[in-house]
Amino acid sequence: MTKTKNILRLETVSKIYRMDGVSVKALDNVSLAIMEGEFVSIIGPSGSGKSTLMHIVGCLDTPTSGKVLLDDQEISQMTERQLAQVRNKKIGFVFQQFNLLPRTSALDNVSLPLLYNGTTSSQIAKKAAEVLGKVGLGERLDHHPNQLSGGQQQRVAIARALITDPSIIIADEPTGNLDSKSGVEVMEIFKKLHQQGRTVILVTHDDNIANKAQRIIRLKDGKVIN
Amino acid sequence: MQLKQLIRIATKSLIVNRSRSFLTALGVIIGVAAVILLVSVGSGLKDYITGQMQDMGSNLIMVVPGDIDIEQTGASGGAASGAFSSIAASKLELRDAEEIERSLPQIKDTAAVVMAPGLASYKSETVSGQIIGTTQNYINIRSSEFETGSFFTQSEVNSGRKVTILGHTVAHELFGNQNPVGEKIKVGDYRYLVMGVMKEQGGQGSLTSDDKIFVPITTAQRQFGLDNISIIFTQVSSSDEVASAVPLIEAVMLKRHDEEDFTVIDQKEILSTVSSILDTLTIALGGIAAISLLVGGIGIMNIMLVSVTERTREIGLRKALGATPEVILTQFLIEAVFLSVGGGIIGILLGSGGALLLNNFIPMTVTAWSIILAFVVSAGVGIIFGIAPARRASLLSPIAALRYE
Repeated sequence: MTKTKNILRLETVSKIYRMDGVSVKALDNVSLAIMEGEFVSIIGPSGSGKSTLMHIVGCLDTPTSGKVLLDDQEISQMTERQLAQVRNKKIGFVFQQFNLLPRTSALDNVSLPLLYNGTTSSQIAKKAAEVLGKVGLGERLDHHPNQLSGGQQQRVAIARALITDPSIIIADEPTGNLDSKSGVEVMEIFKKLHQQGRTVILVTHDDNIANKAQRIIRLKDGKVIN
Repeated sequence: MQLKQLIRIATKSLIVNRSRSFLTALGVIIGVAAVILLVSVGSGLKDYITGQMQDMGSNLIMVVPGDIDIEQTGASGGAASGAFSSIAASKLELRDAEEIERSLPQIKDTAAVVMAPGLASYKSETVSGQIIGTTQNYINIRSSEFETGSFFTQSEVNSGRKVTILGHTVAHELFGNQNPVGEKIKVGDYRYLVMGVMKEQGGQGSLTSDDKIFVPITTAQRQFGLDNISIIFTQVSSSDEVASAVPLIEAVMLKRHDEEDFTVIDQKEILSTVSSILDTLTIALGGIAAISLLVGGIGIMNIMLVSVTERTREIGLRKALGATPEVILTQFLIEAVFLSVGGGIIGILLGSGGALLLNNFIPMTVTAWSIILAFVVSAGVGIIFGIAPARRASLLSPIAALRYE
């Protein structure tokens, strides 16, 4: 693993939304690079464009102009179908609201991404149990989200992000819905993942959380300000 | 992306929302069950009536008074029963029957029939029935069996004896469990010796022997003044001879009557007219029920649209995790088809089961074509009404869907 390799590069990326005939520039000529194995946090107040940046980095959206290179692959011109496949392979999402399927076991929730890439059922079950073990939920494979605490639910979500062995893990306010103790536990998991060599991008508005990262990218009014 | 995985996803989400899935499928369940039940009623009726007509005996050709055009009157059931009971202006005679049997070698048997409603009484019991005056050959032509006793013979016909054979219902209402053979009952003004009792046949009207009181035709003509023959049954040996025998009978009859004041009907002709009417009825019943299937399909579309809105976040999540628009489309389409096909299968089981159960009360025949049709239509309904919701789901933007509250 070469520590110098850029896993993600944005070159003069702009995103303009049109709402009721008014153009809103959510991202304004943003250029940045994130290296493999880095632990980066993106911080900014609401309206700063950090959600838009996260969507573009997470291949959920394409920029109005500029280039996005993920693992040396240009994604800004991809179709929705291609983007879905890139997300499946290279991105692991952790959301503020966990976004677990209700009335569905932890094991099945974690299995979700593998259902979309042709993995066989037996492999899926094996892998899902393995990643749940890694986040300390090896004993709760059959539990449904409503039988788990907030911290445990978020750990299921982290296991789901890890199961495809993605290039980047993107966490959007991962501690926003957690009590402080669970928040600390979840941050510990991200730290450990970083130590294992994973690239983690943390999107937050909370300085205390952002400070846990190696590097902080500050956004304001659609621009990087540091 | 394998179809197998998609089917797993779809079934899982149907099972997770099992009560909603069931209620959604209910529309199709009821629709399919209704189609099968109503088609079973129609074809059951057809089987019943054609069965009854075949019970009359096989290879029959009937001569009735009056010039009736079966094809034109259409409702041949009505025409036939009209012929059975009407005392038409034109007359058939006992001699007609004898002449047909005498001059046509291919005619195995003939039996002329006179009939009139009448009362029979034994001790304090009185029942009303249909008095049938006929000849000894009647019993060979109509495939009726005896519970006890036997039919009257030629000598009893020739001498006009006061003997009678009772239909099952008449015998049981008069005698209960007592054996009527050898007893005397009163029919009209005279006493008749009971010679036999017919087996129960079931059914209604002229096709059943249950409410009949059989007496020799000569006796009937003398005692009840029944001069007009209602019908002459003739029987040929094999079904191949039916078609060729009809014009020969017509020729014999025409020689005796100067004008065509009679009609020769062959059993098959009646059968085919009756079946075509009942086929139309069956299709009409099935068509009415099919409308409820359509309503069931609209129900599926409605619930799937609600489901797409309700599961917006789930769809957003699935897309974020790598589900392509086609995959989402297929998932929702499979859900819709599973609902309709699952509903179809349950409906088929309920409809066929219900038909078998109801068969104890009214004639029902479950037909293979109605099951296949119901299944195909329900699957089609799922696809057609599943497309709109599935498309809506597949076009959702993952970002908007994830933010959706």
